Amino acid sequence: MNRWQRTVGEIQTRKRQVAECERALEALSKVTACFQQMATSVGSSSDSSSLREKTNDTRALAHKVCTGLHRKLVPLLAETVPGQEDRDKVEQLWVHFLTGLESLQQDLYKFGDLTDRFPLKQKNDRRALIKTGASDEFSGVAAQAASTQSPWVGTEVEQNPDLKTHITQIDAMIKEMLQKVSIPFWAVESTQEAWTEGVDFSDAADDQDETLEVEVVSQDGKMSGCCHPPNCKFGCMLCLLT
Amino acid sequence: MTIRNVRDHGQRFRPRMTCLKKVEAVILEMQDPKTGVKSQPQRLVITTIPHAITGEDIVAWLANRYSIQTEEACTLGRMLVAFGYIYPLQDHKRLIIKPDASLYRFQTPYFWPAQQWPVEDTDYAIYLAKRNIRKKGILEMYEQEQYNSLHKWMNHKWDFIVMQAKEQYRAGKERKKPDRVVFDCQERAYWVVHRPPPGTISAMDYGLERMVDPNAEEKQTSDFFRRTIIFTQQSIMRPRVKSSVSIGALVKYSITYNKHDPFLAPCLPSNPWLTDDVTYWMLNMTNVEIPTKMRVERWTFSFGELLADPRGRADFTLFLKKEFSGENLAFWEACEDLKWGTAATMNEKAQQIYKTFLARGAPRWINIDGKTMEVTVKGLKHPHRYVLDAAQTHIFMLMKKDSYGRYLKSPVFKETQKRAIDPEQHRFSVTQLEANAKKRRPSLSPIIVRQQEEEERARMATSGPVDITQLCRFTAPVPHLAVYSGPLSSPPFPLCLPHTPACPSPISVTIDSTPASERRWEEGVGGGEGGEADQVGEGTAVSSRSRMALSLGRLLRRGCSPSTVFASLSPKFPAPAGNSSRVQPISTDQIGQAPPRRIANFFQIKVDIPPECRIYPIDSEDEEESGGASKGGGGGEGGGEGQVKEIICPWESLTPHEGAG
Repeated sequence: MNRWQRTVGEIQTRKRQVAECERALEALSKVTACFQQMATSVGSSSDSSSLREKTNDTRALAHKVCTGLHRKLVPLLAETVPGQEDRDKVEQLWVHFLTGLESLQQDLYKFGDLTDRFPLKQKNDRRALIKTGASDEFSGVAAQAASTQSPWVGTEVEQNPDLKTHITQIDAMIKEMLQKVSIPFWAVESTQEAWTEGVDFSDAADDQDETLEVEVVSQDGKMSGCCHPPNCKFGCMLCLLT
Repeated sequence: MTIRNVRDHGQRFRPRMTCLKKVEAVILEMQDPKTGVKSQPQRLVITTIPHAITGEDIVAWLANRYSIQTEEACTLGRMLVAFGYIYPLQDHKRLIIKPDASLYRFQTPYFWPAQQWPVEDTDYAIYLAKRNIRKKGILEMYEQEQYNSLHKWMNHKWDFIVMQAKEQYRAGKERKKPDRVVFDCQERAYWVVHRPPPGTISAMDYGLERMVDPNAEEKQTSDFFRRTIIFTQQSIMRPRVKSSVSIGALVKYSITYNKHDPFLAPCLPSNPWLTDDVTYWMLNMTNVEIPTKMRVERWTFSFGELLADPRGRADFTLFLKKEFSGENLAFWEACEDLKWGTAATMNEKAQQIYKTFLARGAPRWINIDGKTMEVTVKGLKHPHRYVLDAAQTHIFMLMKKDSYGRYLKSPVFKETQKRAIDPEQHRFSVTQLEANAKKRRPSLSPIIVRQQEEEERARMATSGPVDITQLCRFTAPVPHLAVYSGPLSSPPFPLCLPHTPACPSPISVTIDSTPASERRWEEGVGGGEGGEADQVGEGTAVSSRSRMALSLGRLLRRGCSPSTVFASLSPKFPAPAGNSSRVQPISTDQIGQAPPRRIANFFQIKVDIPPECRIYPIDSEDEEESGGASKGGGGGEGGGEGQVKEIICPWESLTPHEGAG
């Protein structure tokens, strides 16, 4: 459709949809991150059935976001005419969504595997859990995950599928997406320069001191050497996490 | 969207990862609160983190559980750390186990290495971005390089990667501080294992991927049993050698080569890798005139050694020339050239070899038994790389059994042995060693070396092929097929004109005093240069030959190969017994087919030779003969029945005598 022929309303709807998708992508990203944090504790001594429940809740959320985004993005892409202004953006969204899906799929596989390997049904099973030194405090993470707002609250909510089904669904989704729309992935360029995230990220600035405190190690007087990088403003603070 | 190569025919299993299942079992046992490894809290400034274990505890537990020595327990422990199941809390980059009070912790199962989860670059990119966020651009060198490269190759995903990194960072902050520290340590340890810093040996190196998952239990179907049966049957049928025999061979080899092994015995004068002094390599170059004693000694070990060393081969060639049986070696070299050469020239080469060595009446006919000859000739109808293998092996064995023994007793060899040098061992002081190290320079580029070789070869070719002397009196070379003298002294192919009516065979040639000069040449080659048997040397060293070269040059310009010059001159000496060329009786028909041409005036070559050369008694004989030949040459066919038998190569007139080609 010639863009001059499109009404203002159509253009605005499309813009809104694209913005929705972007927000959804961010939400997906957040949920995936939280899921990963929780999945890292499966099988460790901080594992518990409550953790697994929380993980499943997060997974359900991820599922919701994914399906919604999928539904919204495919038609957007189908409508995209070459030469359209936001084509780049939409393609970017597409590529990122696929990456996110793959990432989530990987985590889901691992999670499934680990839950199988370390079942918690028997009492004795707890003995087999790996002592990793972490505690089982995940409420903060779960809360963060739950706080993601999927932009289409109120639309049809599917039942939360169980893990295996979820994985196969994502598999199918990815395959279908790859076949449906042909976009040259490598044509998508990143909007960010390299190394900028280190500078820009405001959150990191807040708790600099805190992280540093944690990083100091003293082991009976033994101190690991510091690398003395040129930018290190902290003199010879012993960095545990160098 | 990440490219997954699904056409890998199922080869995606990493073979060394079979042990992972077993390692996991060990780790699980270590968790047992009663019988497992004792853990203690790790004290940090603000908090304590439980579940830290000491290296010595780990080693002690392993030694106890598996009833092994401490050393072995250490090795096992090191493996656990190298695979990433246990990570060190201090000195996190070195994945070793220190059997003292240094602390370790178990890795969470999410970060265990697994067969089915190859490590993804996307995850690594996210990790690096996270580190960048935390450390504000202060990353290690190798991490920076990786970051840059990933940024380039994953540019299309980069926004997502950054976004995910930020989210993961935020999610991590939601946890309590000790947990964050633990998680960060875990993640860092994971990436040290899977993306090791440069220079560290990674336990994750696993070679090629395999088709079968080594961790999977194989189902015992009928196919499994069928394969097992076949395998065991084949094992039974395998030929065996008694261990006394095979060990005896090994012992013999070790004893023989003991002093020649640079690891076991010092190199003379010094090992260039250790002292940066390249004298050793200079002394052992390919075309050196005087070889070292060690090198000469190696030639006595076996015939294969002699042939493998180019200097040795040259010496052997010299010896064979004196015995006038060089065609065997030439044939052998020709076969090697065929085997290893380019496919494009294979056909030509095979034909060339046939015509030069195998056909009846060939100029350098070799003596192989009838059956091998049959097989070879048949094979030459459809030549391939290995068509001459049987003949080559036969000739090799012939040379080995016969000529090799005589070579080792010959004056040529004894001369070489006497002249071989035995360099003194270098004794460098530390400062000298440093000076040597500073003087290190790269050697000649192989391109230049090859160019030099080509030039060498060209020069040798124009100076005339040296093995003409191998011609028996009853054979004659075909003019337009230059005598094949092996790859080292490649025949002047460019000069071969396939159909030169000007110079058919035979070849009665009148050359003034050429026999004498040629004789001189032989002698000169044989005697004067015992130590420098290079064909190169022969071509260029003696000045009396240079004039010969000039005249030959003239010859060549006329489009005939220099071999015709010496056609009738094979000196009259009795054909040596054994492996020299045997003469084929010439039927008169053949002679009739291609009448000898009047080449008498063609080849007037004045060669200036020093007077002392004319002393040879045979001179007069030869001159007579050549004189007779010239008369005969002018006269007519078959003129020289009693003198030079002229051979007309059968294929020239395309008779049905030809076996192939």
